[in-house]
Order: sequence, then structure tokens, then C-alpha cells
Amino acid sequence: MFSMESNIYVMNKNLPFTAHTKMADVIHMDYRLIPIIGRFGIDYGFGGKTVSEVCEYHSINVWFFLEIVNSYHNQAYFPKKQLQNFSAQLIIQYLCNTHTYYLKTKVPEIEGYIDKMEKNVLEKNVKNIQLLNDFFKEYKTELQNHLEKEEENVFPYIISLERSLEEKIMPVELVERIKKEPIEAYERSHDNVELKLGDLKNLIMRHLPPVFCKALCQKLLTELFRLEADLEDHARIEEKVLIPKVKLLEQKILEACGTE
Amino acid sequence: MEQNDVVKIRVVIAAGQFLYRLGIKTIISAIGVEPDLYETNCFKSTKKCLHTTPGADYVVIHDDILPEPRNINLNEIGKLCPCGKILLIGNDPIENCPCANFALNIENQKEMVERFQEFFYEPETTSSCNIKEQLSEREIDVLKAVAHGCSNKEIADKLYISTNTVISHRKNITDKLGIKTIAGLTVYAIMNNIIKPEEVKN
Repeated sequence: MFSMESNIYVMNKNLPFTAHTKMADVIHMDYRLIPIIGRFGIDYGFGGKTVSEVCEYHSINVWFFLEIVNSYHNQAYFPKKQLQNFSAQLIIQYLCNTHTYYLKTKVPEIEGYIDKMEKNVLEKNVKNIQLLNDFFKEYKTELQNHLEKEEENVFPYIISLERSLEEKIMPVELVERIKKEPIEAYERSHDNVELKLGDLKNLIMRHLPPVFCKALCQKLLTELFRLEADLEDHARIEEKVLIPKVKLLEQKILEACGTE
Repeated sequence: MEQNDVVKIRVVIAAGQFLYRLGIKTIISAIGVEPDLYETNCFKSTKKCLHTTPGADYVVIHDDILPEPRNINLNEIGKLCPCGKILLIGNDPIENCPCANFALNIENQKEMVERFQEFFYEPETTSSCNIKEQLSEREIDVLKAVAHGCSNKEIADKLYISTNTVISHRKNITDKLGIKTIAGLTVYAIMNNIIKPEEVKN
């Protein structure tokens, strides 16, 4: 399956990360890629293996992996068209892994820091940290709801679009949904979630009375910035790759049904 | 995500050729200035740009965009940015040039960087930085009501002001505090004893 894709894929070999780059060098060159590589399910102990060898071992589509790490590494490099050519299934799988990373790793980590801070500040500040804690809990719930909605409602819809085109079977319900509730109707409710993260950073940086656990506070702030950067990349893939691709799939199905 | 409302200086780069503009951007970046950039590639578009984005702080012009008579046309550009400085780059100085800063095309890298450094140099002091961040009493009233969960209309009725005034207070509060959501403003209000936690509706 993916070997077919890998045969026809053409990539610029002057990009910083190519199929022949040693996997360890990828991280040497940009340590911010550690979580990205992790969410592909790759373990350490690469030895001298190249990206393509490691990807083959883990049954990962090497071209997709490379486009993701190259575009995460360099904000200005974002090959929309190439990314749209990967199957929706593949893109969604990556996005789901990203969701898991947020909810299972990043969010608990941040919660942990806030909890620890609560235990380590002077009494008059405890109230303030509790407020931050509640604020973050609220944020977490919103984020969870948003991600769940995607996984339970939006993603399955997209997968069924793709499958229906592959199998050339167009179920009536699916066509109905395209007409009634196309992907366009799915408004991103990320916005408020992003605003809250920004507010939390400012509450800590500008308004929280000095705490006596500076190291913890610094870690917390750093993790908030990292989460934000990751969410931005995630949103970019959804908005500029997945959604336009879905619009195309919807159109193809409608055309195939002759209802356009 | 965009930076937190950091005010950047505004620089207009006017040059006919893309590579030329790119070069100018490179030098600006190399001297450490990180502006909001506006690029134009002809006399007309430069005038339009200065017209639609008032308050340009610096304008770097390559004289290839200036039609004859150059000094008069340059003057016209100067009038469009009364508070801005202009740097002109060209092969030779313009007669009766109204512009105080000039760089020659033949200048080498070091000279060109110096020209730009002089042009962009502004003395900075640390003593007089007192940006008002304190909320006014009225803003505190509005913040209190926002934290209590009131709508703009309710706040307007309560404080005998128009809804537009409420909106403008809310914008100022957000600008001063860097907090955009109601939940965030509520946390701020409790932290600073503007409201009591038990007053917050869920």
C-alpha cells in the first residue's frame, strides 16, 4: 500500500530532513521535534539508522513523516498540496495521535506543575494558584470536548467519504450529510481555546503575585508556550490540509452521484 | 499565534525590484530591527500605501520608483508621512533633495549597514517608561460587572452609559491586562480582590 505511494513520491532532497538523514541527526538538528517523532510511535535506540529505515521498521509512511517534520521545523515551509495528497486516513491518524499527546501527556504535565505550585507557595498565594488551577481545568474540558467532537463526529465522516470513493459505493445517508452538514459547517471552535491559553500565560507572567517556586513557574510557562505552538501546527494541518481535502472529496462524491 | 499586542515600528520599503526589497529587508534584520513591513513597487502604490497605512515611522525608497522631477515627487511622499523619516537609495544624490538621509548604490556592505544604522538609530532611555497599566475606576466597575457575568447591555444599564462605551472600556481593559476571555478576566478580578469568588455565577 504505502510502498506504492513511496515509489511515486518526489521530494526535494535539499530539505534539511530527507529519507537518508540519520534519525538521531533529525533530533540533533531540532530538538523541538522530539514530541513529533514520539507521536509517530518511534522509540529511541535508532543507532545509525536513517529516517527511511526507522520508518520502515515502524511501518510509517516515510514521505508523510518527512513532510510533517520539515514543516514543523521550518514554519515557512508548508507544502499544502503535497500534504493534501496523502490519504485522509493517514492525516487523521496523525491528528489523533496528536490529540492523545495533548490529553495524555501535555495537559497532565501542566496540571502537575500547577498542583505542585499550589503546594509550594506561601499561604496568601494559594488562593491565586487555585484560581489558575480552576481556569486550566476549564480550559482542559473545552479542549477535550473539542477534540472528542472531532474524533467522534468529524473524523469518522471524513473516513467514510474516502472509503465511499474508494469502494465506489455512495450510501444515501452520506450524500445527505454532505448536502446538509458539509465540512464547511464545521466551524473551528479552537479559537476560544487558544484565547484561554493566551490569558493563562498573561495571568502568570503579569498578574500573579511573586511566587517562591520560580523554577516550577518557569517550567509551567515554558510548557504552556510549547503546547500553544503545537496546537498552532495542529490547527494549520486541519485548516490548510484536511479541510480543503475533505471539500474536494465531498465534491467528488456529489459529482459521482450526479447531484451537483 | 500573534504576539501579545506588541507595538512594532512600521517600515515601508519602496523599490521596483523584488530582489532589491529583499536586500533592504535583510539589512534591516541584520541591524536588529524587527518592524511591520509594507512593500511597494512603484510610485503610485507607495503613495497609496502611505495613505492607507498612516503613521509609517520609516520609509526606505529606491529612486527607481521616483518619476521626474524626483525632488518634487519625493516631497510629495514626505508629505504623506509627516511623522516618518525617509531614506533614499540611488545612484546619485538628487538635486535640491528634500530628504536628509541618502545611501548610494555603490556603497559596500559595511557602508550600507552603517547608513541603515544611522537611519534607524533612536536613543532609548529606561527612566521614562511609565505606560499606564492601572485600570481606571470606571474600568474597574465594568470589569466587576463582566466578572459577574453581565452582558454589555446589562452593564450599560447598570452604569448609565451607552453600550458602545462599555465595549470601549472592555477593549481598554483587555489591552491593559492582556486578558481576552471572560473566564480570564474573572480570575484577574478575584486575584486582585475586585470581586469575591462566591459572587461568581456558574
